[in-house]
Amino acid sequence: MIAEFYSPGSSFLHRWDARAKLLVLPVVLGAFFVPSTPWVLLALAAGIAVVITISLGPAQLLPPLRTLWPVLVLITLLTPPFHTGGGAVLGIRGTTVLSTGGIRTTLTLLLRFLGITYGFFAVVRTLSLDDLVLGLRWFGLPYAACLVMTITLRTIPALAATWHAVRDAHRLRSGTVERKRQPIVRTYLPVLTSVLIEAVKGIPVLAMALESRGFGRSNPRTSFSGLKTGPGLAVDLGALVAVSAALLWPVLVRW
Amino acid sequence: MIEEQPAASPAFRVASIAILAAVTTVLTRVVQVPLPARGYINLGDVAIVFTAIALGPFSGAISGGLGTALADLLSGPYAFWAPISLVVHGLQGLLVGLIARARPGAVGLQVVGGVVGMAVMAGGYLLAGIFLEGTGPAVTEVPGNLIQGGVGVVLGILVAAAVLRAYPPLKQWKW
Repeated sequence: MIAEFYSPGSSFLHRWDARAKLLVLPVVLGAFFVPSTPWVLLALAAGIAVVITISLGPAQLLPPLRTLWPVLVLITLLTPPFHTGGGAVLGIRGTTVLSTGGIRTTLTLLLRFLGITYGFFAVVRTLSLDDLVLGLRWFGLPYAACLVMTITLRTIPALAATWHAVRDAHRLRSGTVERKRQPIVRTYLPVLTSVLIEAVKGIPVLAMALESRGFGRSNPRTSFSGLKTGPGLAVDLGALVAVSAALLWPVLVRW
Repeated sequence: MIEEQPAASPAFRVASIAILAAVTTVLTRVVQVPLPARGYINLGDVAIVFTAIALGPFSGAISGGLGTALADLLSGPYAFWAPISLVVHGLQGLLVGLIARARPGAVGLQVVGGVVGMAVMAGGYLLAGIFLEGTGPAVTEVPGNLIQGGVGVVLGILVAAAVLRAYPPLKQWKW
């Protein structure tokens, strides 16, 4: 599950500083919410798709589409009836079903949804967990909050394994392996109870380990990893300004 | 210090939030419960309701929000829902915990808290969906969110009672 988060590589997007990548996310959101034409949104979404193709490979364009196609179909089917402005394109018994306004709004929503999805996907797939936490720490997130994030991310695989082990053990003991139609409560309550007891029993152990390692003391901390500094950071921040300008050019042109 | 007043220790708070956020992420991402009709729901809401009842509103808010946000981030395509989940499920955990804390152990209040939290969660996603997907698609997601929230309330309350009975030290960990 954690492996799905970050795809290792050495592309320009991978090498781009974590802080710049985190800062570009609100710019992506802003770019797709600024009122503009579907053509502009198409250009922005296509630009992001090109960046993903270059940095992660063309195959990486498919996972978001595979996951989100039902939402895209729903947007295509359900948006036109709510927006009947402009000239009528298709009507049934005097009621406008499809209009130019409806088509325009549908395209806007589809491209906005795809563009934002691809924008976040590109950042998430090229940002390692350590860099994410270091970046958030640089932006002022308290040390305790970063520590919580780090521990959570490290605990997830072990807990997922516990879930599967406990579920399989319960299935074997209750003989319900073959029975697919079971009430949700009867199937999941025993497994959930076992997994949660196992999880909460780990809390005092983890707390004592944290205290033993000096959590809560005011001594300066050592760190084995850090983010870019000096000219490397300046280049990345310059790239951030250029990317932001490219994403927001419709607004800049209007000004 | 941990043995005397566990919930007052900063290390204990960090540990409890981190582990329960991980539980929330696992129940959101890994566990897919097939519905009798069709489709799947996840059990992330169970973890949120359980945490809010067993460990209090602040644990419920932080671990619920963080756990679901991380689940969205780890999913890849749903990454942009992470900030929305952080706020919506954080509010859900806070409300469930605050209402349930009014009279600890009262199942009626836990149900009320769960229903209020479920309504806030479904309403929050509806609002976000209207902005991102448009009104039609956003409205179609409401029943699914309500079913998932309802299962979360029922299972969350039951599992909280079961875990509190099986592991009594948990009663001292609220903050």
